[in-house]
Amino acid sequence: MIKAENIHKSFGDLKVLKGIDMEVHRGEVVVLIGVSGSGKSTFLRCLNFLELTNEGVITIDGKQVNQKKDNLAKIRAEVGMVFQHFNLFPHKTVLENVMEAPLMVKKMDKVQVKKMAHEILKKVGLSEKAAVYPNKLSGGQKQRVAIARALAMEPKVLLFDEPTSALDPELVGEVLQVMQNLAEEGMTMIVVTHEMKFAKNVADRVIMLDEGVIIEDSDAETFFNHSTNERTLQFLEMVDV
Amino acid sequence: MPEFLITFYDVFKNTYKGFLQAGLLTIEITAIAVVIGVVLGVIFALMKISNSKILQTIANIYITLIRGTPLIVQIMFLYFGITSIIVLDNFWAGAIALGVHNGAYIAEIFRGSIQGIDKGQREASLALGMNSSLTMRRIVFPQALRRAIPPLGNQFIITLKDSSLVYVIGVSEMFGVANRVAASNFKQFETFLVVGLYYLILVLIFSALLRWYENKLDVDK
Repeated sequence: MIKAENIHKSFGDLKVLKGIDMEVHRGEVVVLIGVSGSGKSTFLRCLNFLELTNEGVITIDGKQVNQKKDNLAKIRAEVGMVFQHFNLFPHKTVLENVMEAPLMVKKMDKVQVKKMAHEILKKVGLSEKAAVYPNKLSGGQKQRVAIARALAMEPKVLLFDEPTSALDPELVGEVLQVMQNLAEEGMTMIVVTHEMKFAKNVADRVIMLDEGVIIEDSDAETFFNHSTNERTLQFLEMVDV
Repeated sequence: MPEFLITFYDVFKNTYKGFLQAGLLTIEITAIAVVIGVVLGVIFALMKISNSKILQTIANIYITLIRGTPLIVQIMFLYFGITSIIVLDNFWAGAIALGVHNGAYIAEIFRGSIQGIDKGQREASLALGMNSSLTMRRIVFPQALRRAIPPLGNQFIITLKDSSLVYVIGVSEMFGVANRVAASNFKQFETFLVVGLYYLILVLIFSALLRWYENKLDVDK
């Protein structure tokens, strides 16, 4: 479904990613973890080309992505992304946030898009908020709208960049619940998170990054209970699961 | 009643018809200059934030030339420059000069407000598959415009007052009329007081409109 080979990325002299190989299959939920600065967010951003790689190949659905500027919009339309800080469009209502891309990018019929947007909002539990502006929402509600907005493009894969890190603790649950529902529906997801419980309960695979390389890539059960990797054990002890 | 007030009233009574007409001209010139300024402002702001070195340089030259020379010189320069090429009356020459002048300042206002929009907005839009131009048009610019409204309003007020300078090329707007009246009635002090009040009234009306509009935008959001 989505495959990354030998991904290198530097910012100036700083080498952030030093040769990452990863493949995610359809319907898989992969959680990326690692200490801050390990490169997990940067890697995620490479997967929808918000960062362009210095080296390496990304293949989506068997097609190698050409990282040319005019090609990227088409690719990004198929790769959804949810950000740590939501990044909702403050000048548009919740419904308009969800409708924007299908209308503008896919040029779908407005009536049809509206119907679909209402359905998606219902799915994330925010039907009654369709007409309000984002500044009237709690953090958890904002993030659920952001997920709805990404879903409206019917992406092949959904990327989550620390989706609950900016939330008050009591609001984390509602967002994780929506994500879990999506996982159960078979959505392909790559999630950067510090929520170990989510990783344990929902992820098919856990990938641990450290200093720009993958140091462990195993199924969740193995990762949390039978890992032999020293750095993983250290990390697990630190986050205390 | 003191002598001064009587003279002031006389001047007011004898000139208000002329000033009414001149006031309309002032408003027209200001409006045209504002429209030209906003159009040029958007174009040059986008050039300035573009990736093209050539476009950036052109925008920088324009802004530097306009900001580095007096408006009155620009008006004369444009008037004699334009009218040597095409036939254009002094009203339009003045309005265009004022508009071109405005464009440089408005470009800087727009550039600042566009660059002030959180870069997460652009990223979220790109991540949805919107290309750069859609992202600018639908997401970044509408937000930047809201942010630009207070400084733009300020710039429009400056334009309204600066429009008095086109009297140098013989446009009969408010200051031009005041100048002529004062030369014929020899009541310079009272006449310029009258025209000063007219400008003040226009500015106050415009400020009130602007405040009302800003409040409306806040409520909408």
